[in-house]
Amino acid sequence: MRRTTVISVACMTAAALTVTACGRGAEDGGSAAGQTGAAVSTGKATGTITVWAMGAEGDNLSKLTKDFEAANPGVSVKVTSIPWAAAHDKFTTAITAGKTPDVAMVGTTWMGEFAGSDAIDPTPAQIDKSAFFEGAQKTTEVNGTSYGIPWYVETRVVFYRTDLAKKAGYDTVPTDAAGLKDMAKAMQTKAGAKWGIGLQAGGDGSWQTLMPFAWSEGADLTKDGGKKYNFDSPEVLKATQYYQSYFTDGISNKSAPATPTTEPDFVNGTVPMFISGPWMMSAVEKVGGAGFKDKYNVAPIPAGSAGSSSFVGGSNFVVFKNTQNRDTAWKFVQWLAEPKVQSKWYTISTDLPSVKSAWQDPALASDKKLAVFGKQLETAKAPPSFPTWEQAVKGLDTELEKITKTGADPATGLKTAQQQADSIGTGM
Amino acid sequence: MTAQTGTTGSPTGPVTPLPVTAPGRPDHGSSRGAGDGGSPGRVGSGRRREGRAAWILAIPFCLLFLAFTAWPVVQSLFMSFTDTKAKDLRHPFSVNIVGFDNFTKALSDPIFRKAAANTAYFVLVGVPLTLLLALAAAVALDKGITRFRAVFRLGFYMPVITSIVAVAVVWRFLLQDPGGLINTVLGWFGITGPNWLGDPNWSMPALIMMAAWRNFGTGMIIFLAGLQAVPAELHEAAAIDGAGAVKRFRHVTLPLLRPTLLFVMVTTSIGYLQVFEEPFVMTQGGPLNSTITVTYNTYQQFGFGNYGLASAMSYLIFVVIAIVTALQFRLLRERS
Repeated sequence: MRRTTVISVACMTAAALTVTACGRGAEDGGSAAGQTGAAVSTGKATGTITVWAMGAEGDNLSKLTKDFEAANPGVSVKVTSIPWAAAHDKFTTAITAGKTPDVAMVGTTWMGEFAGSDAIDPTPAQIDKSAFFEGAQKTTEVNGTSYGIPWYVETRVVFYRTDLAKKAGYDTVPTDAAGLKDMAKAMQTKAGAKWGIGLQAGGDGSWQTLMPFAWSEGADLTKDGGKKYNFDSPEVLKATQYYQSYFTDGISNKSAPATPTTEPDFVNGTVPMFISGPWMMSAVEKVGGAGFKDKYNVAPIPAGSAGSSSFVGGSNFVVFKNTQNRDTAWKFVQWLAEPKVQSKWYTISTDLPSVKSAWQDPALASDKKLAVFGKQLETAKAPPSFPTWEQAVKGLDTELEKITKTGADPATGLKTAQQQADSIGTGM
Repeated sequence: MTAQTGTTGSPTGPVTPLPVTAPGRPDHGSSRGAGDGGSPGRVGSGRRREGRAAWILAIPFCLLFLAFTAWPVVQSLFMSFTDTKAKDLRHPFSVNIVGFDNFTKALSDPIFRKAAANTAYFVLVGVPLTLLLALAAAVALDKGITRFRAVFRLGFYMPVITSIVAVAVVWRFLLQDPGGLINTVLGWFGITGPNWLGDPNWSMPALIMMAAWRNFGTGMIIFLAGLQAVPAELHEAAAIDGAGAVKRFRHVTLPLLRPTLLFVMVTTSIGYLQVFEEPFVMTQGGPLNSTITVTYNTYQQFGFGNYGLASAMSYLIFVVIAIVTALQFRLLRERS
């Protein structure tokens, strides 16, 4: 018994000592606004760099990096492919242990966190930021400093069945919000569809379907000079009321399953319209089989008072601060942003280029559906790159679920989401 | 950081020898004292040497335990009293001590409260249901089913060893509305089945149903062992005294089964209090947070990078588990 007492006293003393030794220094994290990385040397790249990339991109990237190695003799690019599900943890661990790769593909929503832990390098001036779509470039910016480049992009547009639309009396999708709703209604009344349009009834990521409408009304998700979240602005409210009306009018299914069945529903005509990203083209064509390509089309998000806007997502490429080969790392990133490399990457992966001029490549320019995405990308917007974004927007998703499913008051819901976001803070 | 990988129901680690001791086997005749009869001094030095050898053999385990079990526990306990966020992980000690702030914050968070209520619902309905199913299946296998017993035993146990991901896919088909098997069968009897996973009132019952189905196999195997350890003589004696099957079950089998019951109840409750996989693969906590559980909420908070708050949540669930387990031990302890 006595020995246990001695041990526990010792442990408590040790703990007390540790505790007194901690505490934050002066306000750490987050660096001064508007930084530019040091210039990168000119000339050929040298040495070895390690690159991490996720998912299909990770599997295919080495096909592309061969060209870089060929153009820079003696350079070796080591690509490590990591699954998306494990990626965030792996990065956090690597940052904690100081064992990051030189260069990595990262999700756009991680930028705030990684920049906050002082792990990634600001973009040097040699990289032309105006070459990218504006919304995509914004995803690399944290607190006014740009870290890395947008590598590939995606945006959301309206998918619709052309054959059923014709039955409903439409050749194209109307370009105003009220028109879109009329068309969805006509899909039910005239074309025999069960639901007019598939909109996500709250739940994870539903803000990505709501925000295109809000951004088209001119919404800004931050206020007070980018220091606070702004979920309950009149613009977001207007879009939310509009979004809710699809559910109250029975045009959209409020109790759709948690795992959506978008592709089969689209193919068999139960839900002949939905809003989603470019990957859905190959997905519905796969389910629809031969010839389905001509049975559907895509159209931009209908314009609100601020024109047509949408959500821009995708992935960025960053250079980590503790790289041993900074020059080569940035040269590689710069090379990835070259229009030729971007359009080559499209042919390998079908990821849409983030560089505007890459869209003039015949492989992209000849595709009419892709052109819609290209046009939408010019005005598409990204959410703020606060480290707490995912947590804050979770509150919005939850409220949106109440608004769509139980018919809760949009104004109250947005106010609740705003209060939660305020108590979470931006984390900057 | 510990609680987020809760495997529902399935007792982690090796299943310790059952608390049921087969009657008639003396369990106190250990070999202690059967020494070589040497002088007391020699015995003492031999003991010491033995003790040293024991320590040397135990050191690798102790070191591993300290490094990979004790330290993370201490670290996460420390974390729960600080404002640690994901970006602080590089400098884990340069954070502020916030006392019990994380705990009060968790307890006043409406989503955490909702999660706690959901978890209570899951445990209060799920544990008795699972226990009943397990006991019924064990009794059936012990008495009723004589042919193909091994096949049935395997069949009932199969869900336990099947990957939850595969189970989730199948159950999502079963629970689909309309057109799922369950609702189709209900339709034959003129019952309109609910939209199980889409309706906030029915999503939790659906998950409980699935969890009970998935986990009763473990309890069944243990109950079966317990039932087979009930001596036949006692049953015979009771039968001679005129007790029917029900009476014998109530007054002979159940009392002898109490230690087994305690074990199954404790392990099932611990697993169910940490329920995570079912909502994670089936509903992601929805619809309308009707299936969000404490462990799932904790997992989300870790994902958001709120390590301090998430650790505090883990410790809250730990405390609840400790209390519930202690209560069950009190309730079902051996009465002498």
